[in-house]
Amino acid sequence: MAKQVLYIEMENCIGCRSCLAACTQCGGHDNRNRNYVLDVDPFETRQTIPLMCLHCVNPACARSCPAQAIQIADNGAVLSALVEKCIGCQNCTIACPYGIPKFDEEQNLMYKCDLCYDRSKDGIPPMCASVCPTNTLQWIDEKELAEKQAQHKLANGKWMASQMIEPLESETNVKISLPGILQGKQKLF
Amino acid sequence: MEHAFASKFARRAFTIVLVLFIASFLGSRFFTHIDLALYGYMVGSIVFVGGFLYRFIAWADRPPTNIILKKGLKLLFRKSTPKTSAEHLVTYRFIWNRGWYRWTQHILLGWGCILSAFVTFPLVFGWMYFTMGDNGIYTVVFMGIDLMTIRADGFLAYLFFNALNITAFMVIAGVCMALYRRMKDFQALAEQTFLYDLMPLYLLLFISITGLMLTASNIFLHGFGHPVISVVHQFSVIVTLLYLPFGKLAHIPFRPMSVFARNYREHYAEREMKKCKVCGTGFVSAEQSHDVIDVLQTNEIRFKMEEGFHLAELCLPCRRKYRIFRFTGKPTHLSPAKEANQHANG
Repeated sequence: MAKQVLYIEMENCIGCRSCLAACTQCGGHDNRNRNYVLDVDPFETRQTIPLMCLHCVNPACARSCPAQAIQIADNGAVLSALVEKCIGCQNCTIACPYGIPKFDEEQNLMYKCDLCYDRSKDGIPPMCASVCPTNTLQWIDEKELAEKQAQHKLANGKWMASQMIEPLESETNVKISLPGILQGKQKLF
Repeated sequence: MEHAFASKFARRAFTIVLVLFIASFLGSRFFTHIDLALYGYMVGSIVFVGGFLYRFIAWADRPPTNIILKKGLKLLFRKSTPKTSAEHLVTYRFIWNRGWYRWTQHILLGWGCILSAFVTFPLVFGWMYFTMGDNGIYTVVFMGIDLMTIRADGFLAYLFFNALNITAFMVIAGVCMALYRRMKDFQALAEQTFLYDLMPLYLLLFISITGLMLTASNIFLHGFGHPVISVVHQFSVIVTLLYLPFGKLAHIPFRPMSVFARNYREHYAEREMKKCKVCGTGFVSAEQSHDVIDVLQTNEIRFKMEEGFHLAELCLPCRRKYRIFRFTGKPTHLSPAKEANQHANG
């Protein structure tokens, strides 16, 4: 099976929050969602963007964990803290550059998006990508990803439209496509 | 003295074995009450000390671990330590909050193992033994001191003699509950591996069953097969001891770290909170924010932004909004609008 990745086409998001609801239903997610849908500027536009763990190749959360509780699965998914190891220090929540890990004070336990590992390890899309009605969240293989990248390749060698600064802090396993409308670039699907 | 040992590991191993030796010397009244039938366990325990130290030192050397260990030790005598320790190490309140099934399973497994260790280690090292002066009356000796006298056919004596049988039943019940959960829980099914998650359960089952077989052999079979079963049981215990520091069971000796972590968070939060560089809300102790920045720095991860702040200096909602700014170019993080509708009901 070709390696598949989560791909976020940000501008497609309509803010329905299906991904949040679906996240709660993943086996082991314990009825709690681990992703976010954020308004870009609610006073000006209806545009929303989903934000979830981007599964860094060199994850700051795992690097800062004193208990080595955050494991990285073979498909690159950065998993929730192992329940027996997590000591509740919350270093991971402070270290994450995107503010993703959540912490349950009662259970003294960190939890985060694990790319629905029980599904994605078998090539089944994560819950969020399964339900997204607008194809904002897609589960695609490397060939499809390359095609999408080629589609948006610009003369300056950059994949994304007119973005001056790097949108991410480091290489991630989840791939993103920035909202073109906001960048003044029209994308047609 | 500085150069007496080749490494930190050698020094600590020597110290621990020396302490064990002196404690045995004193506890067994100058080696007059060592139970030589248990010498295999003694050798196993000493090898375990080596393995444990090896794992522990490698672990404590990691920068984030080192910080929590050092600062946690300094803060050990906080007023809240007894309460936190009781909740984290005795009653497992946080596991109760994860569900009654997991809590019951963990109480049975955890206390089954800990009580067994409280019985067996003192017996192996000669710290505890029984003598009989008058017929029918046992004297319990602990660290060379006559602790109490009990009637050999009394209730207390019954509990003492059957302690390991009782804990074996506790462990077997706990293991069965854990194995059942591992067959049914989706996340467990997805993430578990034989070596890390299942083997420790099988090892505990192996120990408990062979231990109970010794009792069964005594009670029902007039000791038939006892020598063989006792060697198998000894094998099961020693293999588990050697495995302990390198697998899932390592969380038993490492768990007190959670008390350190709680103290560390509480103490420094009382001292000074870090104010979010965007919205000004105090979200974590200044010390921890600083420590995390240091730890990331040693890992060559730098989240210093053009705006002049480090990402670990933003509260979590602002950090998410700042990311939207980086995606879109619109200064979402400066907008007063709060995140809305982020929690779905499962």
